[in-house]
Amino acid sequence: MCSIAAPEVFGSDELGHATVLIPGDLPAELHGKARRAQANCPEDAIIIEE
Amino acid sequence: MTTLEENAGPVNDPTTDYNIFDPEFVRDPYPTMHEIRESKCPIAHSDRWGGSWFPTRYEDVVSIAQEHEIFTSRDVVVVPRAAPISEGAYAGVAAPPITSDPPDHHWHRRLILPVFAPQAVAKYEQSTRDLCNQLIDKFIDSGEGDAATDYAQQIPVRVIATMLGVPIEMSDEFTSWVRGVLEIGLTDPKVRLENRISIITFFKQQLEDRKKNPRENDLITDLLNSGDKYPVTDQYVLGVCNLMLVAGIDTTWSAIGSSLWHLAQHPEHRQQLRANPELWPTAVEELLRAYSPVTMARIVDRDTEFQGCPMKAGDRILMSFPAANRDPRQFERPNEVILDREHNRHVAFGSGIHRCAGSNLARLELRVALQVWLERIPEFSLIDPAAVTWAGGQVHGPRICRVRF
Repeated sequence: MCSIAAPEVFGSDELGHATVLIPGDLPAELHGKARRAQANCPEDAIIIEE
Repeated sequence: MTTLEENAGPVNDPTTDYNIFDPEFVRDPYPTMHEIRESKCPIAHSDRWGGSWFPTRYEDVVSIAQEHEIFTSRDVVVVPRAAPISEGAYAGVAAPPITSDPPDHHWHRRLILPVFAPQAVAKYEQSTRDLCNQLIDKFIDSGEGDAATDYAQQIPVRVIATMLGVPIEMSDEFTSWVRGVLEIGLTDPKVRLENRISIITFFKQQLEDRKKNPRENDLITDLLNSGDKYPVTDQYVLGVCNLMLVAGIDTTWSAIGSSLWHLAQHPEHRQQLRANPELWPTAVEELLRAYSPVTMARIVDRDTEFQGCPMKAGDRILMSFPAANRDPRQFERPNEVILDREHNRHVAFGSGIHRCAGSNLARLELRVALQVWLERIPEFSLIDPAAVTWAGGQVHGPRICRVRF
């Protein structure tokens, strides 16, 4: 789900488990998409540190 | 207590006597779900169909899904089996990993996840698109068709047959077997057993064939050859094949069918999707939320009290993902389809360790099926809304849905 909402930020490994593609701070233009991914994660598994 | 006759009769209070196979509930379950959810008993109980609990609030369904040690998956069908699984010619063939509990669940799931990863299912997009176009070619000139039987029903079975490396020409038989197990068979134990035997017998032959003639890039061959990593048995491989067929076909076909039924009645949504193709990702999630097809069961492992309900070891809980996905505590305006809904943490694919392994494939099939339909048939409507028929209980979706265009 996160890789659909924010494909620049999230990918998936060979098992289909989500991975974070961008290490460290996200560029400002991706904040909105990252928040959208967080709000739609069915497992509530995304934490955004600010 | 396993037949329609034994369980028939009017329902006076759904919080103590719901009937998941009541014709009105099968057709439109949402008013009853709402009534239970907003009552003093949001986790209803009924003695019908062998007895079950029915949680309707999002928070409760998710909590139960997370507590997999107490709420086990040793049986996931919404009604009890007529004969225990440990008996008969096909004893021990289950449907791993959906019917597995930890610790085996881990490797049962680990082995099948790679075939369903987003990058792995992407290779089915073009062939699914071609298939959808071919299906529409067959009826488009007549100006009408059945969105369920001529289209939705025909798509997932062929995709799954391709994945499993079994003959696509047998699609009608596969569909009939799956309906025999998950639809008609739920209220007719004899039909259920016959079709289960057909499925297992078929896959036993496929396993024997792969042992004699191993294939390259073949799921069944690869599973049989995974014994170096995990304690793989024939029963496990049979179970996985059984699951992929049973869980991969009428679930997705129901989602496609319900979505087309919705679009047939909502010209504004057809227009919105045609004008804004960037809406597709959220639209697919919203249709999955609003028309979640699947209800799975859990079996209580030991006596426990959950939200004030005295649950006993062996009790069945019906995980109503459709009810959870319309809970106003979780979703604003839950009964409306909002194609660009911002917050949509829906549980159409379940939650926790048993979250649907095939969700990426299901999403792809649903999106492509709807995109191709709207490209070819931009305007359409139900011929007779009252003539649409539905299946329900375990998997909810239209079975006859004639449209004119």
